[in-house]
Amino acid sequence: MSCLEKTGIRHLRAVRRSGLVVASLIGAALAGITAAQAQKLTVWSGYPEMEPFYRHVADGMKAKFPKLEVSVEAIPLREHEKRVALALASGANSAALVIELNASSAARYLNNDLLPKAPANVTAFVSDPANFSDFFRDRASLGGAVYGVPLFRGQVSLFYNLDMFKAAGLTKPPATMDEYNSYAEKLTQRDASGKATVSGWSMRLSGGGQGVAEKFWINLFQYGGSILTQTADGKWKSTLAGEAGRKALKQYLVNIHKAKTVSPEMPADAEAFERGQTAMFIRESWVIGDIAKKAPNLAYATAPLPRGSMSVPVNLYVSAKGAEADAAWAFALAADEPDNQLWMLKNVGWLPNRAGLDTSAITAAVPAFSAFVSNPKGYDLFAVPAIDVSDEVLTRVAAKLVAAFGDAKLADDDKAIDALLSATETELNEILKREGLLGK
Amino acid sequence: MLQRKIWIFAGLALAPILAIYAAVRLYPIGETLRLSLYQWNILSKNKPFIGLDNFRELVGDPLFREALLNTTIIAFGVLIITIPTALTLAALIYHRTQSRFASFYETSVFLPHVVSLVPAALAWKWIFDARLGPLNALLGWFGVAPKAWLFDPVLSLVCIIVLCAWQALGYAVLIYLVGFKNLPPALYEAARLDGASARQSFWYLSIPLLKPITLYVSVVTLVSGFNVYAQAFILASDSQGAPGRQVRVLVLDMLENSFRNYRVGYAASEAVVLLVIVLVLTLIQFTLLREKSGRV
Repeated sequence: MSCLEKTGIRHLRAVRRSGLVVASLIGAALAGITAAQAQKLTVWSGYPEMEPFYRHVADGMKAKFPKLEVSVEAIPLREHEKRVALALASGANSAALVIELNASSAARYLNNDLLPKAPANVTAFVSDPANFSDFFRDRASLGGAVYGVPLFRGQVSLFYNLDMFKAAGLTKPPATMDEYNSYAEKLTQRDASGKATVSGWSMRLSGGGQGVAEKFWINLFQYGGSILTQTADGKWKSTLAGEAGRKALKQYLVNIHKAKTVSPEMPADAEAFERGQTAMFIRESWVIGDIAKKAPNLAYATAPLPRGSMSVPVNLYVSAKGAEADAAWAFALAADEPDNQLWMLKNVGWLPNRAGLDTSAITAAVPAFSAFVSNPKGYDLFAVPAIDVSDEVLTRVAAKLVAAFGDAKLADDDKAIDALLSATETELNEILKREGLLGK
Repeated sequence: MLQRKIWIFAGLALAPILAIYAAVRLYPIGETLRLSLYQWNILSKNKPFIGLDNFRELVGDPLFREALLNTTIIAFGVLIITIPTALTLAALIYHRTQSRFASFYETSVFLPHVVSLVPAALAWKWIFDARLGPLNALLGWFGVAPKAWLFDPVLSLVCIIVLCAWQALGYAVLIYLVGFKNLPPALYEAARLDGASARQSFWYLSIPLLKPITLYVSVVTLVSGFNVYAQAFILASDSQGAPGRQVRVLVLDMLENSFRNYRVGYAASEAVVLLVIVLVLTLIQFTLLREKSGRV
């Protein structure tokens, strides 16, 4: 090897060494920059109207987390459910996520270890009875471990048109399910031929998906029944067939086919109520904000249901690691601060789950909220069970109900009603059995 | 040697296309067939092999049976309306080729095929509306009582058939027009000299000569009829205040089982059943309409 070659090799080694040093310095500098850069957090919501709330929470965290950047992606619920399923199932998501999910939908992910348990401080916060009732704590937990932070709930009450009540000589809302029937008859407006033009009580009679079954379950609950009931072994069985089921289904059939206070083709739901096409209907608190926007002059009031309400608890879950997970859980806790919970009630209309909130200023300004936030003593809340087959159960029941609503002969045939309910109950128990969820 | 090179070149030229076709067509079909034999909820790491259990469950599933019946009625309903109507319209338009309105006729018939499905279905939803729809208003002039088109179990099926046929008609007419333009004029001239009327020429010449076109149009119409989904979904869309009866069709049932009930294996078995039905029906159509010479 010549001297020149040796010199060349030494030079090359020196260049390599200096290159490594520079690369190390650049790497260290980049790492430093990354550490100094903002932490990024994405909130996935299934309720577009919640976007301002999450932005409000993020703004409130600026002082404590100056480098935290929160982006909110709020899309319609069904699309949201699909993206959560695909992201969590594929494991492809690398962003730090705060995911809003209702308790029954989240059950699948918890059962499959696709969402992590909450850290100790969050568990302590959620488990504190001063912060949440057992109902909400249990629906954010699985097997005694806390996985989510309770945020808000969908809960239903009666909305009724004050002008129509006055015209019908009714001074207070119905207090029993029998009164619902008699009120519906008095409130129905008819044309010269006797055909209903304004429904006395808008019931959910058609449409896709499980809404029909959910609304039926609410009415069934007023009669003391339930589509699914938990057994002593912690599993479930259908208890649809029975006196409560018969009364609930018969109430629909009588209103449709005998009293003719409502029909499937009549305008229904919040839109009909806002347009004065129905006198009363049962819905969640979001309708209050909807009325304020679309029918601000509508004279209406709300009232609790006779026995209790379905409650759909929605929680915040986290899918993140390391420092980003800490920030994500901090965000979830911030969303539950009393000021933020009240802001949500006032500005969005969803009901906060945090206990001990002083909602008096809000209910004084918007009395319609009272029926939702001030439940009468002994008022029961129930939820769709957080089991994998809840949606399938509701879909099956809805299909049976829609067919039954169209069958006028059922209205006078208790035996046929019982047979229908019994067949549906058997079908539901088969689904539970298939999944190993059927109790004794 | 040259021959071999040509084959190699052809193979290399086709390879990317075949690879893409295999990836986007054959692989999903194969994967669907495989999944139909498993119990899988899309989230679980466990995917137990259950053989034909999904198919056994399908047989006893009332929602699947309802979806299968509804889909079959819709597919054949659309076929029965579309083929004769398209053939008649195409014949009328073809025999008015010289008219200055010929292109208008063609465009107006083809237009529904190119209109986006969602706004079209929403417009039909308004037409069928029991209280405000023009259809009931029109029937009212003739003394017919208003019908709950979107809520009655039978009428809601009719609505979907009408909507699907309205959409399929334009494409079918277009294909038939191409067929008419390719028929040999000499045959018609000979028939005319033999004293055949226009109706006889249509019946005894056009219809038999258009058999291959009829085969193609009927296969396409039937296959798209079995894949009906969006029409049923929109006509019963759960918008505030204006829902309709949800007509359960196979694709809707599959989507519900996949993404609502998280039963991907079960939904795959439904897809396999749909695939078999479409293949069998296509085979039957080929057999019935195949010319004796074996050409179609």
